[in-house]
Amino acid sequence: MRGQSLKRRSVLGFAAGFMAIAIGGEVALAADKINVGALRFTSHSASFVAFEREYFKNNNLDVTFKFFQAAQPMAVAIASGDVHVGVTAISGGLINLAKKGAIKVVGGALHEEKGIDGQMILVSKKAYDAGVTSPDKLKGRTYGITQAGSSFHYMAHKIAQKEGFPGSEIKVKPLQKVGAIIGALKSGQIDAWSIVPHIAKALSKGPAVVSIGKITDYIPDYQVTTVFTSAKNASQNRDLVKRFLAAFSKGAADFNAALVDKTAGAEEAEKMVKLIHKYVYTSRPYAKAAPSIRNGAMRINKNAALNVTNVRDQLQWFQSEGLVGKDVTIDMLVDKSFVRTY
Amino acid sequence: MDLRLEGISHNYGSLKVLEGINLAIEHGKILCVVGPSGCGKSTLLRLIGGLERPSAGQVMQIGEAPSDSLNPLTYIFQDFALLPWRTVAGNVNLVLEDQKLSRQRRKDILENVLERTKLSDFADALPRQLSGGMKQRVAIARALAVSPAVFLMDEPLSALDSQTRELLIEDLVDLWTREPFTAVYVTHNLAEAVRLGHSVAVFSRRPGQIRQVVKIGTPLADRKVTDPELIDRQDYLWRLMKDEALAADLELSDA
Amino acid sequence: MPKTPTSQSKSANAETVAFRGGGFAPRPIGLVGAMVFVFLIAFWEWGSRVGWISQLVLPAPSEAFAAFQELVVSGLLWKHVSASVTRLVTGWISGTVLGLLVGLSIGLFSLARAGLVPLVSAMFPIPKIAMLPLFIIWFGIGEGSKVATILFGTFFPTIITVYGGVDNVDRNLIRMGQSFGLTWFSIVRKIIIPGALPAILSGARISASIAIILLVAAEMIGAEFGIGAYILLAGSLMATDQLIAGVALLSMLGLTVGWLIGKAEKYFLNWRA
Ligand SMILES: Nc1ncnc2c1ncn2[C@@H]1O[C@H](COP(=O)(O)OP(=O)(O)OP(=O)(O)O)[C@@H](O)[C@H]1O
Ligand SMILES: [Mg+2]
Repeated sequence: MRGQSLKRRSVLGFAAGFMAIAIGGEVALAADKINVGALRFTSHSASFVAFEREYFKNNNLDVTFKFFQAAQPMAVAIASGDVHVGVTAISGGLINLAKKGAIKVVGGALHEEKGIDGQMILVSKKAYDAGVTSPDKLKGRTYGITQAGSSFHYMAHKIAQKEGFPGSEIKVKPLQKVGAIIGALKSGQIDAWSIVPHIAKALSKGPAVVSIGKITDYIPDYQVTTVFTSAKNASQNRDLVKRFLAAFSKGAADFNAALVDKTAGAEEAEKMVKLIHKYVYTSRPYAKAAPSIRNGAMRINKNAALNVTNVRDQLQWFQSEGLVGKDVTIDMLVDKSFVRTY
Repeated sequence: MDLRLEGISHNYGSLKVLEGINLAIEHGKILCVVGPSGCGKSTLLRLIGGLERPSAGQVMQIGEAPSDSLNPLTYIFQDFALLPWRTVAGNVNLVLEDQKLSRQRRKDILENVLERTKLSDFADALPRQLSGGMKQRVAIARALAVSPAVFLMDEPLSALDSQTRELLIEDLVDLWTREPFTAVYVTHNLAEAVRLGHSVAVFSRRPGQIRQVVKIGTPLADRKVTDPELIDRQDYLWRLMKDEALAADLELSDA
Repeated sequence: MPKTPTSQSKSANAETVAFRGGGFAPRPIGLVGAMVFVFLIAFWEWGSRVGWISQLVLPAPSEAFAAFQELVVSGLLWKHVSASVTRLVTGWISGTVLGLLVGLSIGLFSLARAGLVPLVSAMFPIPKIAMLPLFIIWFGIGEGSKVATILFGTFFPTIITVYGGVDNVDRNLIRMGQSFGLTWFSIVRKIIIPGALPAILSGARISASIAIILLVAAEMIGAEFGIGAYILLAGSLMATDQLIAGVALLSMLGLTVGWLIGKAEKYFLNWRA
């Protein structure tokens, strides 16, 4: 059903575009057709809400979601212009694309906030039994990451920094995929990992994994994901980006109220979980998916505000690791003109 | 050492190939076997050498093989069967390596057989460098190296051109005259049969039976291509075989 | 009818028979291969300089070369190459030796053939990358799973080429060996194995290429150094200059291996025309 209506919408969009070309002047009447890149994660809920509750439509945006398996190809798709807007963590790839003048970060999305369940630090039972009972004991231990220069890598080094030992004392193991890291952690082949709360909680309920700390204690106000678009859109299509951010913020506000602050009541929370379930954990029955969705609810920045202080810290870390060039400036990466930054 | 075939019959599944073969292979004599295509000559040779078991009857060995014979029943193949990755010397050595022989003895044998087959200068050549006639001489040298009691030769010269064949026939006659050996020599070529055979066994078409064993009295060394007696014998053999060959030919084209 | 101009064939109906042979016979033409390379790279560099090829689409060869120089200067080149070559060599050699043993048994024993051929056919097409998560559990995230990936990748094709090679050994040669009373072991060692060697060596050429292809997959798991790890990192950082440098390294590795096997063929198969 949904697929059908989506199809109809895209046909309409095409017709509208065609008419716009044909008639010329009356572009404003037709909605702008844009592709939004998304991963099937709870952290992308603001977009899903904005779509389902027609906030995009009300802002004259005709949105089609393009789903990706990983953040990296999404960034490339935005650079190539196939996708207009996306949400993902700051990565080495993203920064290098920004350096090449392909993309710009325009707003904030997921971030860590004290008092709200955020990313957790996990260790294997084997490591826990061997004495790794708190993050300061991670010195000399192995730590699972997807890739050098991923957010996991950054978190590992921030833990080391705060605990007062060099980052190289945590032995990061690139394993490419979250699934592979989980396997390695469960079987005790790596000692530690950090991950978003719903995965962390599910894992630490099992016998093989123990939770020993929170990322928010090490990276307060960590700007986990950001909204980004192509540099061309940021400079030449400012109105479109603004409208996207407005709709996105409205979706984020609903999401925060329903599942993070829980001020909207149980009924609204239930509705919200059901809405998200259309996109996330679709292969699982609702009863099984609901707890994961609730557990995974982290704050999405109000009005897409962006913690530039933390983004700068991330950029500097990438530079100190030699993963991106020293010549990249924060202004190459971020366009601060769209949202409040702090 | 003599061999005697007693009531040999053989079939492959329902195909009768040989029937009731009785034949004596006498020491120091060459027995030629001729017969139409597909009558079971190669099969017979495999049975004699123990590479296959007859369906009925047996191959008897009468008397001990000479004690210096390393491989009493030794084949010489139509396609030479040389290992292309070994030199002439290597190919001869192949059949000596599994024997309990002193290094010196092995070397002596090698030199001796290469000399007898006029290959001493080619000891280090690879088969691909040799002409067809030389290849067959290597195969003969290899066979000589194990001092067989009986040579089993399956159309050894049929892959060669007629001049080379003529030269090799002379070589074989030479070898035999210097030191008589026993051999079963299968051939299609009647001229070859009358040049080399002390007796010639003529087979019928399949299932192969012996039609006649023709004796040739002239000593090997005295036989000449133009010898009227030999031409006469050859003509006689051809008349024996002609009808069979015709029938066999029709049989094959029927199939 | 066109008249031929030759003086001898003036008679009314004589003409030269038209030549229609030739062709279909590849002959070596030196340097053309190298020139194609040089031309392509020069064209690519020129396209990048004038802005024809955007930096985002493909970095200029000079940039890739600079990335390569960086590797040399920093000394990382040696670390990456030695890590990868060690994995390649151990994985390939063990896969090849095991493949030789299994392939020979299939070639020599009917029971092994009946039992193993279906199994090999079933397991050969399994993509080794799909097995990575299990390899992590079985062999750990250290060298084990990396070597295992390459090992499994070379094992199955080796089996198939080896028993195919054994099947193709001239049966007459085996008959000959038996007729001279050679022992079973001698026949295998002196007739079957050398006879299958051409097939085994061309199989080695293929399995070595497969090993190089699998290097990137193998180094997906917990590898800090290695050409594959370098390429993966470059990809995730969108450092396309490094990516191209890494891929070029793999190509060079492939050329080297091809050259070495060519040498081995020359040495072992000198008996072939
Ligand atoms: N291993 C085998 N299995 C089944 N049939 C066989 C086998 N070997 C030979 N034959 C058949 O047995 C018959 C006799 O074969 P054989 O090779 O002995 O004939 P031949 O007299 O040597 O023929 P040619 O003169 O052509 O060499 C042929 O019809 C052949 O097809
Ligand atoms: Mg025959």
